[in-house]
Amino acid sequence: MSWATVVAARLRGLFEHKRLERELDDEVRFHLEMQIEDNRRTGMNPAEARYAAMRSFGGLEPMKETYRERRTFALLETTVQDLRYAVRILRKSPGFTMTAVAVLALAIGANTAMFSVLNAVLLRPLPYQSPEQLAMLWTEDPTQNFREGRSALGDIEQWRSQSRSFADMATFDAVSTFLTGADGVEQIVGASISPNLLPLLGVRPVLGRSFSTEEAEQRQRLVLIGYRFWQARFGGSHNALGATLVLNGSPCHIIGILPADFKIARLDADVWEPHTSRRAVRGAETWFVVGRLRPTVTFHQAQAEMSAVARRLNDQLPAAERNRAISVVPLSLYMVGPQSRLGLWMLGGTVFCVFLIAAANVTSLSLARSVARAREMAVRTALGASAGRIMRQLLTEGVLLASISGLAGTLLASGGVDLIRAFGPANLPRLNEVSLDLRVLGWAVAISLLAGILVGLSPAIAALRRDPHPSGEEGGRSVSGGAGTRRIRRALVVADFALAIVLLAGAGLLVRSWWYVNSIDPGFRPEGVLLMELSAPMTFSIPAKQHFYDRVLETIQAVPGVQNAGVIGELFIDNNREQVVTVERDNGTVSERLQFGREEVSAYFFKAIGTPLLRGRSFSIGDGPDTPPVTIINDAMARRSWPGHDPVGKRFKLGPRDSGQPWYTVVGVVADMRRQGPEREPFPQMFVSLAQSPPPRNMDLFIRTSSDDPMAMAGALRAAVHRVEKNAPVSEVALLEQQFGTYLAQRRFQTSLLIGFSIVALLMAAVGIYGLIQYSIATRTQEIGIRMAVGAEAGQIFRMILGEGLKLSLTGLMIGLLGALWLGQAGSSLLFGVTSRDPLTFIAVSLLLIAVAVAACCFPARRAMKIEPIVALRQE
Amino acid sequence: MRNDRADKADVLQGTLILLVLRTLEALGPLHGYGIARRIEQISKDVLQLNQGTLYPALLRMEQDGWISSKWGASEKNRKAKFYSITAAGRKRLAKETEDWRRMSSTIERFVGFDPKRLAEERG
Repeated sequence: MSWATVVAARLRGLFEHKRLERELDDEVRFHLEMQIEDNRRTGMNPAEARYAAMRSFGGLEPMKETYRERRTFALLETTVQDLRYAVRILRKSPGFTMTAVAVLALAIGANTAMFSVLNAVLLRPLPYQSPEQLAMLWTEDPTQNFREGRSALGDIEQWRSQSRSFADMATFDAVSTFLTGADGVEQIVGASISPNLLPLLGVRPVLGRSFSTEEAEQRQRLVLIGYRFWQARFGGSHNALGATLVLNGSPCHIIGILPADFKIARLDADVWEPHTSRRAVRGAETWFVVGRLRPTVTFHQAQAEMSAVARRLNDQLPAAERNRAISVVPLSLYMVGPQSRLGLWMLGGTVFCVFLIAAANVTSLSLARSVARAREMAVRTALGASAGRIMRQLLTEGVLLASISGLAGTLLASGGVDLIRAFGPANLPRLNEVSLDLRVLGWAVAISLLAGILVGLSPAIAALRRDPHPSGEEGGRSVSGGAGTRRIRRALVVADFALAIVLLAGAGLLVRSWWYVNSIDPGFRPEGVLLMELSAPMTFSIPAKQHFYDRVLETIQAVPGVQNAGVIGELFIDNNREQVVTVERDNGTVSERLQFGREEVSAYFFKAIGTPLLRGRSFSIGDGPDTPPVTIINDAMARRSWPGHDPVGKRFKLGPRDSGQPWYTVVGVVADMRRQGPEREPFPQMFVSLAQSPPPRNMDLFIRTSSDDPMAMAGALRAAVHRVEKNAPVSEVALLEQQFGTYLAQRRFQTSLLIGFSIVALLMAAVGIYGLIQYSIATRTQEIGIRMAVGAEAGQIFRMILGEGLKLSLTGLMIGLLGALWLGQAGSSLLFGVTSRDPLTFIAVSLLLIAVAVAACCFPARRAMKIEPIVALRQE
Repeated sequence: MRNDRADKADVLQGTLILLVLRTLEALGPLHGYGIARRIEQISKDVLQLNQGTLYPALLRMEQDGWISSKWGASEKNRKAKFYSITAAGRKRLAKETEDWRRMSSTIERFVGFDPKRLAEERG
């Protein structure tokens, strides 16, 4: 009948503490006053009456204590008591508290910030309806290591009709788009999507509507705009609906606005146009394909079915081309590729290691303090505190310390999140979604608690193990300093070093990879080269466009500071392409499917970008529209198609033997350009002269300058283009070096963070061992004094102390090296040019660690050497 | 040490509940001091009541719902907290009274049974 009312009453007691306390006082005062009055009536004087009343009432404070305990929950009350006490203790030793809070706050902050990245990039579901059913479909060629290739509309139509795993498939691609506005033409990001894409993703425009299949088939000029574009261009006004944008020269009606942050896979665009199912947009014969699985179908089943479809389709192809495969990849895995994932998990693990080291150091500190507090504990035990009570007290201190750190750490993390968003690798998808949400805060709370328990528990265990009496007698200055405590602290130092070497080894391997990556010859010389994208006006005929580029190059050449200029269809390609190529060799003609690239270039393009010509000649004025088509190939194609032979003078054509394509004669071979970043192997490529080929929709213009500050020429260059054609669309000018550097953004991010974290880990390990040795000397002053008194030399003492430190750090080193070897295996795909067991790296970081350990032990050891035996023996 | 004290309090509390409930049933609403006086008057010097222990007991009984309290004016028009017995309290009192009777008659039987033999065993 009663527990509920008791709980209710006690809960009330918890909240109405002040009022109830006052009432109790009132009641007691009333009681005493009544008693005093009655006593006076029996003839006592006031003092006597008061004394008698107090006596008959009994102990006032114990009564109140019992009363309070009964009024509310004893556990909570004691927790509050413990907390108050903990606050007092922490305030009494500000040095310890500030150090511990600073170290833990940094560790918790770094962890929380990193977790917020993991959370946003890897853990949060994609912002589509049932994102777990979405998959990317790729055309691949396993025999040539050709992965993640786009697909032709005809193929996709076959996939759709022959498979049952997918509810629907949609296609999309980025298209270079120029917007004509009041102040001229500018480049914006466009996307071309199949009309079923938005329904497939389950995304609806926030305003207006999407296009229908019929509208797309009729090629009506309709366009959806992105939220950011809407805000920037229309100020978020509803008038945007129905407005007209002049895109690539033709007017398009805005019919809808897409939700904020809407992206398809990695594609983020300003304007989204529909494309028909029949005819591809020029310049993009292949498409990205996204499919939605039927609800009960697994990726595995879908893959099995698509592999069967691929085999059926291959059977219809000539034998040499029957190597095509279709791969089904969950959209989330494509969004953030395995490399980025692994890198993020590695960084997450790294900051967690730093956190563990920080917690170990703070634990070590608080253990050292607990020895000094042994007397306090002894007194508390003598006064009747139970073991559990003392343990709870110490845990409360630990958790309080960690909570303060956690709070400070979370504040740091929110700053860190801003930094990461600003300076993180731009090519890491979803990085802009990084924020401190509930899950991140939960993580912060969890690791703060973990820190609190780690920091509070070992002193508690040490306190329980200790026999209270001796330290009580010795006033807490026991000679041994608590052997149990020392053992734990030694173990912590070993752990510090083990973790530190793992991080150092990882950082070392990444630094070596960084060197290798940077020593890779990209196949061109990017220093001092500017690049801009430009397009001939859409209304021009093909010869007029060719003439336009010629004139632009002439004008640019004339700008002071310009050495060379050239154009190419596209230098950096983010997606793999493949092509059937028919090659004439001395022993016959062969058709095969290759990972392949084809670009139009101007005559002096290779000179402008600095790619050496290995054999043959460049394009010349003689190569015109009326002469036989010629081509320059790269070294990779020479090696692949004419191994061991000089390809100059040989012929090949695109497509199978009987295709209607012209035969190209190879006139030159250029060095391989790394067009997918320094880490991707070059693949076969051909270059055709702009004079012999219709120019693509837009081209990359490269300008080699002799200026120290090439960017200063940007205005002059844009003006030069506009002198040729007032309305020619031109992008912003960028530095080629910078553009090429973005391929290394993630590697730079990983490497620099890992270096930073491992330095922190190393310093913390050094501080940890320094503290331990220092402390051990302080408690062994007498012993050292005796040793010196009986004839030990200073050098021997120095070696003894140093040996103690080295033994610990070497133990940690050994354990850590084993861990590093094991972990290196898992992270080997992040490395470039080095193996995960690179001996040089391992030896170098081991030596570094030992050097730091020796340095950290040297200072206290030198002090130990200078101990005066007399002084030492006189202590205590 | 602490445990000893707690044991004694508990023993006292058992009877204290009976005494308080009986007092409130007989005299109606009463403040703490009145209850204490009444118990002392009835028991004279036999029961040495530490008056202070009365208040935690009153709190406990109130939390259990046997008594209720209300602030009011005392006979000399001073603010005092008055306790009165509740229905649950009356039930409890009946049970406590019966327990006590049974207990005391049992003890009585032990005490009254062949005192000489007890004395011999002691000797």
